[in-house]
Amino acid sequence: MDDMEDTTIFSTLKSFKSLISGPDHSLLETEPAYGRSDLQKLYTKRVELEEAAERVRSHTSLLQLTQEKQQMELSHKRARIELEKEAHSSSRDLQREIDRNRELLLKIRRLEEREEKANQALNEQMENNKALKRNLEELHKKANVKDSKLTEADQMISELKDETRRLNQKIQIQESKFSTQNLEIQALQEQLDVQRKKYQDVSQRYQNLQSSHSISTESELKMKELERRLALQEQDSVIVKNMKSEMVRLPELEREIKRLREENCFLRETKENNSLLKEETEGLRKKLERVERVMEEKLKAELEKEKLEQELQAWENIGQAAGLNIRKPEDLSREVIQIQQRELNLKQQNYTLNSRLKQMLLRVAAENKKNEQQQKLEMLLDSRRERDGMRAILESYDSELATSEYSPQLMFRVKEAEDMLQKVQAHNTEMETQLSKAQEEAGSFKLQVQMVKMTLYLYTCMCLFFRQKIEELEAERQRLEEQNNILEMRLERHNLQGDYDPVKTKVIHLQMNPTSIAKQQHAEEVEQLRLECQLLRDRIRKIEAGGGVTKDDTTLIIPPSQEILDLRKQMESAELKNQRLKEVFQKKIQEFRTACYVLTGYQIDITVENQYRLTSVYAEHMEDSLLFKSTGPVGSGSMQLLETDFSRTLTGLVDLHLFHQKSIPVFLSAVTIELFSRQTVT
Amino acid sequence: MSKTLKGITLKGSAELVAEFFSFGINSILYQRGIYPAETFTRVTQYDMSLQLTTDAKLKNYLTNVISQLKEWLFDCTVQKLVVVITCLETNEVLERWQFDLECDKTAKEGSAPREKSIKAIQEEIRSVIRQITATVTFLPLLETACAFDLLIYTDKDLEVPEQWEESGPQLIDQSEEVRLRSFTTTIHKVNSMVAYKRTNST
Repeated sequence: MDDMEDTTIFSTLKSFKSLISGPDHSLLETEPAYGRSDLQKLYTKRVELEEAAERVRSHTSLLQLTQEKQQMELSHKRARIELEKEAHSSSRDLQREIDRNRELLLKIRRLEEREEKANQALNEQMENNKALKRNLEELHKKANVKDSKLTEADQMISELKDETRRLNQKIQIQESKFSTQNLEIQALQEQLDVQRKKYQDVSQRYQNLQSSHSISTESELKMKELERRLALQEQDSVIVKNMKSEMVRLPELEREIKRLREENCFLRETKENNSLLKEETEGLRKKLERVERVMEEKLKAELEKEKLEQELQAWENIGQAAGLNIRKPEDLSREVIQIQQRELNLKQQNYTLNSRLKQMLLRVAAENKKNEQQQKLEMLLDSRRERDGMRAILESYDSELATSEYSPQLMFRVKEAEDMLQKVQAHNTEMETQLSKAQEEAGSFKLQVQMVKMTLYLYTCMCLFFRQKIEELEAERQRLEEQNNILEMRLERHNLQGDYDPVKTKVIHLQMNPTSIAKQQHAEEVEQLRLECQLLRDRIRKIEAGGGVTKDDTTLIIPPSQEILDLRKQMESAELKNQRLKEVFQKKIQEFRTACYVLTGYQIDITVENQYRLTSVYAEHMEDSLLFKSTGPVGSGSMQLLETDFSRTLTGLVDLHLFHQKSIPVFLSAVTIELFSRQTVT
Repeated sequence: MSKTLKGITLKGSAELVAEFFSFGINSILYQRGIYPAETFTRVTQYDMSLQLTTDAKLKNYLTNVISQLKEWLFDCTVQKLVVVITCLETNEVLERWQFDLECDKTAKEGSAPREKSIKAIQEEIRSVIRQITATVTFLPLLETACAFDLLIYTDKDLEVPEQWEESGPQLIDQSEEVRLRSFTTTIHKVNSMVAYKRTNST
């Protein structure tokens, strides 16, 4: 930069010199030819040259100023940098010294602590020494005491030795005595031995006696037992004999038993037969009684018949004695007809009776024998009544016969009637027997019928019952079939689903099966992922916190944090430098602008890019300003005036200085002079 | 195939059934995508091409189970074999392939072989395996990662070997069941069925 500035300065100086030398030559050349016009031209040329020189000087001054400014700035920068370096180094030294201080302080503290500990140890050892010294003194005292005791013990020992000598003498005397006594003892012992032998012999004999005695008692006991056994055996033999005899009797007994059993059966049968026979006999007795009664009645009837016959014979005799009547045959015929009618009636009655009996048999269930008897009695009574009737008829007939005559026809008819009566009676008896038989049969049949009816009724009831049961069972069967089908369906479904009966079946599988292995691997992967997540989260937290003072177990974070700190410090220092430069620059610019304002009389503001507003010191109004626009390339310095309100008031000056003279500084200075003159005048 | 040429013995029947299970389980694993398709290789069996796994651990596991199953088939103590497919994330059972075994206990060690040709049995097995492949069309997709397990239903009094343990039946909650074909060797009858978890859309 300095070289460039020097070169520009030198170039401008050269141009200036050239300019100065140029017009000089031209002036010298043109002097004789032209007069005032040459002087004016020279003057104007000199003015122009001076102006150019001033311009050049100003340029150079500007360049010098800028150079100086740049040099100042550089020096400032260098100074600042050096200062900052020094500051850094000093701060580092400070920190190092501070750290050293701290370390030294820590060391001092530690040493102090060690001193204290050493002092404490010293004190303790001193105390231990004192205690040991005390112990030693005590031990010395104890040793002295023990020495005194030893001397006493020695004295005691000497005394005891004297006593031992005396005792030894005593012992010798006693030993002699002891030997004599031993001899005596030996003699006595020999005597003892002899007597012991005798004693043993005696004892052996005694033992033998006792053993023999015991043997004898045992043998006696055995004898007794044997005798008892003998007795028992004799008894047993007796019993056996009896038993044998009884045993001999056994088959006979068995035969007897058989016989008895047979007799029993026979007797039972006979008993039954007896009972049956008894019943029969009773029945027969009853029948006998009945028959006897019947016989008696029959006898009675026969007697009565005989009597009647006798009476009839008597009446016949009487009749035969008497004569015939005309009326009497008609009466007799009527009576015979009546008798016949009565006979017919009787027959009808018989028949009706028979029918009634039959109806009764059909209707009535069971009849008693007394009823039969009653019926028979009734029959007999009826027969008696018939007899009475017949008697009455006969009596009436006899009475009629008494007044009238009778004929052998009547007799014959009477006889026929009697025959008829007899026949009727026989028929009656036959009927009675038949009745009885029939009644018995009817009774039995009725019983059978009842039984059959009962059985039929029972069977029908049972049929109905069984039918109901069958219907119920069928309904149940259908229901059970449906249930069975449903259950089978369910079973099938469960079987398809995989159900099983735990009582009969169990389910097993290998412990190391793919599902369990896959589950384990899955769980392990999940665990690993969780751990990784946690580690990553920790890392992120630490990175966000800035790495800091604490160094953790994660070994990845440590190095960058230091660099980051250094870089940050560098950043901060650079920013500080920038700020300071800005401040200084602003200050300088302010100074320069104020200097320009003061020196040139114009305040130059850059309103817009390439536009400069100039406000004069002597401006009447604050808004009075001139606008210049820089045209052409930047740094060339060509400016143009823009129209403003204020510039319109200065059209004369504009025309003169800008259009004709084409000099902006002249214009500006003219404007300042104008304004100054305006202010000072007014 | 060590069976008498003229008929089926108990031992031969056990071997046939074990072989069927070995190929059947491999087909199921391939069709349902429990293991990636590239871990399977093509082999020919029962006059059709089937997929067999090449994963060593899986092969080892299957041989362990099938060999033990063969013993139990010989003793007629096994009642069912179930392939349970579980979703790893939710631990839910998604599918259950169940094979019921009915053993004719009158056929013991030394009894005469039964009259049934091996070809007929193979024909039946072929139709069963074809049906297993066909069922994949209506089974719901297994979208999550799944693992499988083999359960064996045995008699209660059977002695549990060392590496085996008792487990639950692992039933499916709300399942649809489909019964498939069966085949019989006249000594062992195998009924196949599949149960799958009802999806909410159906």
